[in-house]
Amino acid sequence: MYYNSFDTWWWPFLFIFLAGILPTSIWRWAGVLLVGNVDEESQILVLIRCVATSLVAAVIAQFVFFPSGPLADIPLWVRLGAALGGFAAFLFWGRQMIVGILAGEAILLLGYVLFVP
Amino acid sequence: MQYPNENAAPPLNTASGVYDWSWALRGMRNLFSLPALVLLSAFIGFGGLARNAGLPLWEMIFLIPTIWALPSHLVLLAGIVSGAPLITIALGVTLAAIRMMPMTMALMPEIRAPGTKQWHLLLTSNFVAVTAWVHTLQRAKDIPRRGRLPYFVGFAGTMATATTIAATLVYQLAPALPSIVVAGLYFLTPIYFATATWNTARVKSEHLALVLGFFLGPVAIYYVPSAGILIAGVVGGFSAYGVGRLLAKKGRG
Repeated sequence: MYYNSFDTWWWPFLFIFLAGILPTSIWRWAGVLLVGNVDEESQILVLIRCVATSLVAAVIAQFVFFPSGPLADIPLWVRLGAALGGFAAFLFWGRQMIVGILAGEAILLLGYVLFVP
Repeated sequence: MQYPNENAAPPLNTASGVYDWSWALRGMRNLFSLPALVLLSAFIGFGGLARNAGLPLWEMIFLIPTIWALPSHLVLLAGIVSGAPLITIALGVTLAAIRMMPMTMALMPEIRAPGTKQWHLLLTSNFVAVTAWVHTLQRAKDIPRRGRLPYFVGFAGTMATATTIAATLVYQLAPALPSIVVAGLYFLTPIYFATATWNTARVKSEHLALVLGFFLGPVAIYYVPSAGILIAGVVGGFSAYGVGRLLAKKGRG
């Protein structure tokens, strides 16, 4: 089954429920039911967190390497520079998220002003 | 991080019942804290992204508060755009959302009050996501037991409402904005994500997983557009975990 399998108004909403809401909230409900029964520091949970983190990182990479819309008009190396530069600034100035965001945006804007005709 | 001390003042009223809902109002006030504004910026980016992907407005308004986990939002949107089958998207979303389980397990004992029913927690758990979670865990010790669940629901519920409104505004206004502004708004989401994920990681292998996923992702997406994110997550995650174990062993021996 696909997002555009059925041409009815309700199918996209059911699709979002099955592909988005259910697969997300099932872990929250599992968490409520398992409180006190699973050691939070157990190795299996560390592995699980690693897979989840890597997956999120791949999503971030998609923004930088294969963006859509106006971001695609900015050269790849400017996007990569803004992402890596913003992240470096975040690490350097005490892991403050706002620093990473401001620095990344500043580099992106600078690259745009200098290199996009 | 510093938060206003007024939040620690005694409850506004002492009505009897399982919960003291006056704390919900105190939770709502956090809308104007820095972490909340940062999260808002990520959803401003998401609104533009959803429009660009061609997702209808009402579907976006529906999925933001009901899923309420930005990794899931993005994997779902990327999956819809790439035309992947339901099962592939659901698998990617569920892998991205696994971290919700340990997060929920850490929060629930903190916000449970005497008289709290299991179903209260099951309902409340749908609001578990990183911003309100980190904040409530940090503040819980200053809040009376009966006020903690209301405080969390007040904060997370307000955030869910505000982010949906912000994303809707950007969705509708994006065509009227200059393209560099829209590009800048999109870019808020990945930086928010990278830094938030780095800060919530607890062991070195998770940091390594973030780096590996970032560089494996483009390769996997290039060769397998519909399942690249899933492949990068599994390969990167297992490798990072393996390297972490090896380093830990070396450190001991």
